[in-house]
Amino acid sequence: MSLYAVNGLSARIGDKVIVDDVSFTVEAGQCVVLVGASGSGKSQTCLAPFGLSPAIPSGSARLDGVELIGADPDTVRTIRGRDVGFVFQHPLTALTPHLTIGAQLTESWTRGGAPPPSRTDMIAALERVGLDAPDDRLDQFPHRLSGGQRQRALIAMAVAHRPKLLIADEPTSALDASLRAEIMALLDTLRREQDMALLLVSHDLAAVADHADTVVMLRDGRIEESGPAADILATPHSDYGRALVAATPKLSDPPPDLPETGAPLLDAEKIEVSFGRPGWRRGRIQAVAGASLSIAEGEALALVGGSGSGKSTLARAIARIGPIDAGGVTWRGEPLPERKRMTASHRRLIQPVFQDPVASLDPQWRVSDIIAEPLKHLRPDRAEWGRAGTVKQLLQEVDLPADFADRFPRELSGGQAQRVAIARALAVEPEMLLLDEATSALDVLVAGRVLDLLEKLQNERDLALLFITHDLAVARRLCHRIAVMDAGAIVEEGPAQQIIAAPAHPVTQKLVAAS
Amino acid sequence: MTASRISLGVVGVVAFAALFVPPFLPWTHSAIDWDAVRAPLFSPGHLFGTDSVGRDLLARTLVGTRITLAVALAAALVALVIGTAWGAIAGWVGGRTDEIMMRIVDGLYALPFMFVVILLMVVFGRNIVLVFIGIGAVEWLTMARVVRGQVIALKQRPFVTAAEAAGAPPSRILTGHILPNVAGVALAYLLLTVPQVVMVESFLSFLGLGVQEPLTSLGILVKEGADDMDIQPHALLIPGGVLVLVIVCLTIAGERLRDRLSQ
Repeated sequence: MSLYAVNGLSARIGDKVIVDDVSFTVEAGQCVVLVGASGSGKSQTCLAPFGLSPAIPSGSARLDGVELIGADPDTVRTIRGRDVGFVFQHPLTALTPHLTIGAQLTESWTRGGAPPPSRTDMIAALERVGLDAPDDRLDQFPHRLSGGQRQRALIAMAVAHRPKLLIADEPTSALDASLRAEIMALLDTLRREQDMALLLVSHDLAAVADHADTVVMLRDGRIEESGPAADILATPHSDYGRALVAATPKLSDPPPDLPETGAPLLDAEKIEVSFGRPGWRRGRIQAVAGASLSIAEGEALALVGGSGSGKSTLARAIARIGPIDAGGVTWRGEPLPERKRMTASHRRLIQPVFQDPVASLDPQWRVSDIIAEPLKHLRPDRAEWGRAGTVKQLLQEVDLPADFADRFPRELSGGQAQRVAIARALAVEPEMLLLDEATSALDVLVAGRVLDLLEKLQNERDLALLFITHDLAVARRLCHRIAVMDAGAIVEEGPAQQIIAAPAHPVTQKLVAAS
Repeated sequence: MTASRISLGVVGVVAFAALFVPPFLPWTHSAIDWDAVRAPLFSPGHLFGTDSVGRDLLARTLVGTRITLAVALAAALVALVIGTAWGAIAGWVGGRTDEIMMRIVDGLYALPFMFVVILLMVVFGRNIVLVFIGIGAVEWLTMARVVRGQVIALKQRPFVTAAEAAGAPPSRILTGHILPNVAGVALAYLLLTVPQVVMVESFLSFLGLGVQEPLTSLGILVKEGADDMDIQPHALLIPGGVLVLVIVCLTIAGERLRDRLSQ
């Protein structure tokens, strides 16, 4: 008998069916991964049987032989507290800010009816999840811990009562690449040690592929394909599965065919940026400390690094859309004026595309006005009628139908909104695009299509790219060179293939190992 | 959604009646019917009866509502203009300017505001224009804080950075991107300011500092009704009821709108 058996599970919110006839089993010590795009019902599949979602479940879900669906809420709560542990996506919000780590650990420890743990027990629990200085951590509040430390603390709480089943909903999505690998490794170890079943939810096939025994692929609430992980990844049967596997960039892909690069274009020397501390505290935070980089015509440079390493701040300082303290930027040998002095002909050169596609479009503006905005300010020579034609042409270039011109941003999906943002950036025929995590907020499939588009533009338009990302596999697909950033400085730089094959700096090694 | 629509509908009906019905009534709000002093409810010619000097209460209530709403709307608009401009400039410029401008707001908040309005009355005389300028000049503080917060939040949105990269000058970003996105929230607070001003105006009139005879307002009617309430309670209950209805409905509509926009 399986530890956790889901049979014909459906769930609906109102009249909307979120999960439709999903079946799978999880054995003790095994790891099952639910994969799918956002909105495919993977989280609801996990949460609905335990009464943790607004969706109403039907069908069957048996944990250790006990039917959960239709059981009275008290029974489900008891089982949930005693036999199941949960880890959620956002480590920042999943901890209660006003309770110490020790208090929260005690709470989850005793939830299943166990006696309160001694301090030694708790220290041991934190040690098991690899949290440093566990004795001090017990008395600290969540805000003192970094994202990775918080996720470790959460895992410690989730496994404190020795659950039979651990459900982890996107446990690594909010973390950067090197932390991801560490947390996945930790979950693996715990699963083996405690012979615990692990049910993992993820949209990122690459992140979980090595850890899963079984993969269940969901699409629109239905199972598209399921089976042993190795089989599915090697030979997916469904179209969706094939698309998902193909769209996930891997470091082992054959080297890409990149366009030729030309004369030096941009040169940034010893850029420094600092921010004042928030509130009344004194002193400044040095976000970028003397970083230099250069880009040639038609070249793509990837700027990689963990979150908070200063990559966005550096790129914005260079493109003159962010603050800068010191350092010069030259464009084809001529110095680029400072932020407030940028003329239309300078602004035209570098255009940005940001991470959050919806937030980067003004919700009150129509798509045609959004795309035409840079034209209006930077190409006043182009008359009103010429603008309309250009907008149509640009929409075509980013593979959007012409009637999207009349839409508002709220009527676009994430991928479509990002295409509009790219069209806006291309409107004034820039020579360089600044892509700030341009695909990170998108689903694997949508991100794959946006990367295809960027590849096409790179080849057709002879564009230089400054590509900010935390994902080496994505960087490798488009970029000639990679620069690795850590704590505001560039610690390693070189041809993409070389950096990935032989990383020299520890930060790079960590990133490569994590991909 | 429905609650806010019903509320706005009720306010609309009340405002419409206050504006257009009085000319069709047999009595004006200041005319005295010597034959019917303190007429009871539903007496012939006087649907709501008359007051202690024989003036028609229906006409008086409608005209009073008109004056109260007009003063409130005018004062709220003054608050909207000053508050939006002040808050937008503070939030947009930021830094030291923001600090100074918002400390001024804090300082004004600390003043006992009823006292300020009363002082204005005393110094400049009892003028209806002054009533709403005085009230508006005090009510803009909340609006300024709300707008400033919105502007600061919007300033950090990527679309504002994108507009800078698109070469839009700061004045264009403020008028083209920031203010249109603040408008919804400002409108919601405008709706919430109106009932507050209705309260203040009524209170001042009740004290005898607001609107002067022969003009009337809901506050004056409530005061007159209160003086007479042991003889004819409806003279208090009718204007009081209209006052409560208007305040409750505008508050519901404003809060619903604000909640919808802040989601």
